[in-house]
Amino acid sequence: MTRADWIVIIIALACLPLVYVYNWRTQTQAIEATISGPDHYKRTIMLDHDQIIHVPGKLGDSVLEIRDGKIRFIKSPCTTKFCIHSGWLKYNGDVMACLPNGVYVQVSGGTRKYDAINF
Amino acid sequence: MSSNFKLILLLCLLLPLAACHPAKKMVTTTDSIMAFGDFVQVTLITVPRQDQRAILKRVEDEMNYMQTAFHPWKTGPMGRTNQLLAAAGKFSANPSVIPLVRKAQRLAKESQGLFNPAIGNLVQLWGFHADFPPQGPPPAPGAIQKLVRQHPRMQDISISGIRMDNTNPAVRLDLSGIAKGYVLDFVMTRLQAEGVHDAMIDANGDLKVLGQHGNRPWHIGIRDPRGNGIIASLDARDGEGVFTSGDYENYYDYDGKRYCNIIDPRTGYPADKTRSVTVINRDGALADAAATALFVAGPKQWPGIASDMGVKLVMLIDSQGVIYMTPQMRKRITLEKAGKEVNVVSLP
Repeated sequence: MTRADWIVIIIALACLPLVYVYNWRTQTQAIEATISGPDHYKRTIMLDHDQIIHVPGKLGDSVLEIRDGKIRFIKSPCTTKFCIHSGWLKYNGDVMACLPNGVYVQVSGGTRKYDAINF
Repeated sequence: MSSNFKLILLLCLLLPLAACHPAKKMVTTTDSIMAFGDFVQVTLITVPRQDQRAILKRVEDEMNYMQTAFHPWKTGPMGRTNQLLAAAGKFSANPSVIPLVRKAQRLAKESQGLFNPAIGNLVQLWGFHADFPPQGPPPAPGAIQKLVRQHPRMQDISISGIRMDNTNPAVRLDLSGIAKGYVLDFVMTRLQAEGVHDAMIDANGDLKVLGQHGNRPWHIGIRDPRGNGIIASLDARDGEGVFTSGDYENYYDYDGKRYCNIIDPRTGYPADKTRSVTVINRDGALADAAATALFVAGPKQWPGIASDMGVKLVMLIDSQGVIYMTPQMRKRITLEKAGKEVNVVSLP
């Protein structure tokens, strides 16, 4: 075995954990949110900047808060307020919606744990 | 051994690592469209990018057309059919609704009437036909009993060609318990005809898949019917639909009691023995209707109804949070929350 052989072996072994992490990692933090609304409203926003967003809906404005890499509904003109009770979204692939107001939020940007949530 | 040979041997040993990575570049497109009053998420994989927009547009057009055709309360083929059913007697129905009505008739019979789309008047009385959930109070008991005593059933309708004959004017069709599954079946068949091998359509929680997500299966989380998070997960196989009926999406609380939108046709009141039922089947319409029927059946009656309807992959969570599954479902499900006890129930 030459020194070059050993270098190749060491590099290959060093890469193995990376291959594992790349293919098998599960829940990861999202980095952006895609917000959809009525009349083809669509906006993608990075989650790295804390801010308040007003989204025009069918009943009025839904208000979303981005803080510490997460996003949530904080105000909604709907009657049930399910959207507000959904809480924070932060993992890639998570979704929430205010159906009465027609506003839909999905966060993405990493590897998602589930392709879809059945309910 | 020469060092060249050792290097070649080492490379041969490392070669299988290449299998850990997708062999081809995947093109994944996910888009949300509005259909059936919900956000529908369509994910297409490994289709040339230039085709994807056109395919998504066709999916949206198909779903919007069927939403209009099958909507029981608005002007359209099903709305018109309901007007004519109310008058009883024979009439020519719009051909676009007939295959769905026929399928609903068969499934209603197999479910022993627990899946009963003929109770549209009861759904309307409870206010669950509207775009927004009702706030209560519940309807007057007398009004409920009056509709229950009229016994609207799918067998009251007979179909010959495009001719329908209705013997019970109390029949009013609300096919929302099967339409989503039926539409997903149809759209998936169209996608396959267009050469799409790997896709998922998620119609606000109810979904169907084709193929797989790259080099792994589609991984689906099932929502906990109480509280936040995922109660279980599973890998959906090629062609399978995963449908759940629950009491947590369209309901209201009144005087400390929850009233959900799934009405028990035997009593006229919302079914209250179940929190959720999940059914997996390649026939999306069957899975959709079975989830409704088994929700109504509740924790004691569901195995017999599931057997009659021919569904083997079932999970039911009762009103106390107890989980029941068929043996086949238990093999497919991974529980994501610790401490949950599972009752495995074989079908008769």
